[in-house]
Amino acid sequence: MNFNLDFMVATFWVSLTGLGVTLKLTFIPLLLATPIAFAFAIIRLKKNQGFYQIITFYISLLRGTPIVLQILLFYSLLPSVLNALFESLQIELDIFSLNPIIYAYIIFTLNSVATLSEVFRSALLAVQNGQLEAAKTIGLTSFQAYVRIVIPQALVSALPNISNTTVNLLKGTSLAFLMTVKEITALAKLEAAYGYNYIEAYITIFVIYVLLATVIQLLFGFLEKRFGRYKYPRNREKENLYA
Amino acid sequence: MLEIKNIHKRFGNTEVLKGVDLNVEKGDVVVILGPSGSGKTTLLRSINFLERADQGSMVFGDKKYSFQKASKKEILEVRKKTAFVFQNYNLFQNKTALENVTEGLVIGRNIPKKKAYEKAVEILTKVGLSDRYDFYPSQLSGGQQQRVGIARAIAVEPEVILFDEPTSALDPELIGEVLQVMKQLAKEGTTMIVVTHEITFAQEVASKVIFMDEGRIIECGTADQVIKHPKEERTKQFLRRITNDMEYAI
Repeated sequence: MNFNLDFMVATFWVSLTGLGVTLKLTFIPLLLATPIAFAFAIIRLKKNQGFYQIITFYISLLRGTPIVLQILLFYSLLPSVLNALFESLQIELDIFSLNPIIYAYIIFTLNSVATLSEVFRSALLAVQNGQLEAAKTIGLTSFQAYVRIVIPQALVSALPNISNTTVNLLKGTSLAFLMTVKEITALAKLEAAYGYNYIEAYITIFVIYVLLATVIQLLFGFLEKRFGRYKYPRNREKENLYA
Repeated sequence: MLEIKNIHKRFGNTEVLKGVDLNVEKGDVVVILGPSGSGKTTLLRSINFLERADQGSMVFGDKKYSFQKASKKEILEVRKKTAFVFQNYNLFQNKTALENVTEGLVIGRNIPKKKAYEKAVEILTKVGLSDRYDFYPSQLSGGQQQRVGIARAIAVEPEVILFDEPTSALDPELIGEVLQVMKQLAKEGTTMIVVTHEITFAQEVASKVIFMDEGRIIECGTADQVIKHPKEERTKQFLRRITNDMEYAI
């Protein structure tokens, strides 16, 4: 068995042209999902609204099924459903000519909402109730207390999980090829198909994904240090001792 | 100045407060004693609406508030007239000592940042933390944290400060520095309601001592009356027990 190294280098650069799409597929759904997931988390924590049951059901549905299945199902189902909807509303829009990336955005957003809302919920629970109480006793409204005290702390404790979610989503975007979206994996497969160099192509994008995931983890590690610095004791006493 | 009437509170099937009345005059230092589960902390938290009491009312300044029905606006009003010092300090973990003190000024009361900063510096110096402004709570000892907690409370110039067992979470060595600050406040005429087990503190600074048990006030009077010459058997029993403990500690 011999590796075609030239092919690997060529594929590397071709696949890299899909980097933009992969990153868009990762970060656009994350940004769209964040506010919705946050609202869901608050509703789940407050428990007193009718939405609670629906949201809990939605979360268990999306977290309880493989993302491949979600893609296959929604990608078959959504166009017909949307088409019927638009027709009944008499809106002129040819659903079937839509860029498939739109469906990818929708599915990855729906999925991220479910994951992130659980991340936010546990992060909010991790902030001691005393923090909220103390803020109230000095005359802050609930809203001010959440914005200034509770949420900043919750976000810091959520960062490792948000990092996880991001990396998982990054890897999940490779399934977008099922919807004919031309991201890294799709491009590599196309490239490999000419001469059946699948192994080389897969090894190449293996490396690309590892690099991307590492960069994301480093980035989140930095954010965690930067915003979580209040958690770590300073070494001022020590510095003084050895000065 | 603060008059509480017939406050009731139950958690599930347990009635924690069974009709308590309390009168606080300006400049009073009211010390509440009692075994755990007697309702002292719940009483304090209900005054600040951290718990919603089921019945009763209070007259604060010249306004009357229903414990059960007070609106959000009224609650905020009461909270701006009071301050609370917690057993576990509850300092804002994501803020420095200085920011902990300025928060209630800048955000709660719209005082300009510069003015709030100057005031916070002055108050932190007063509680002996002039070299700890930019330390986060996790970088301070328990005693230092509680002194920041007190600084945060006095910064907003409340009409009354509520202390919920401010020294119970501290190492014996660190209790003194916190009590020292509280004594200083008492001397300056700050109105305080203090739930504590520090009998000596009560004897030294309390203008009024209250003994609570099972959701009721059992005895009320000067420190001399309640601590030195208790009338009720329950009070005597309690005092015997905690003073005995102190002997063991020695």
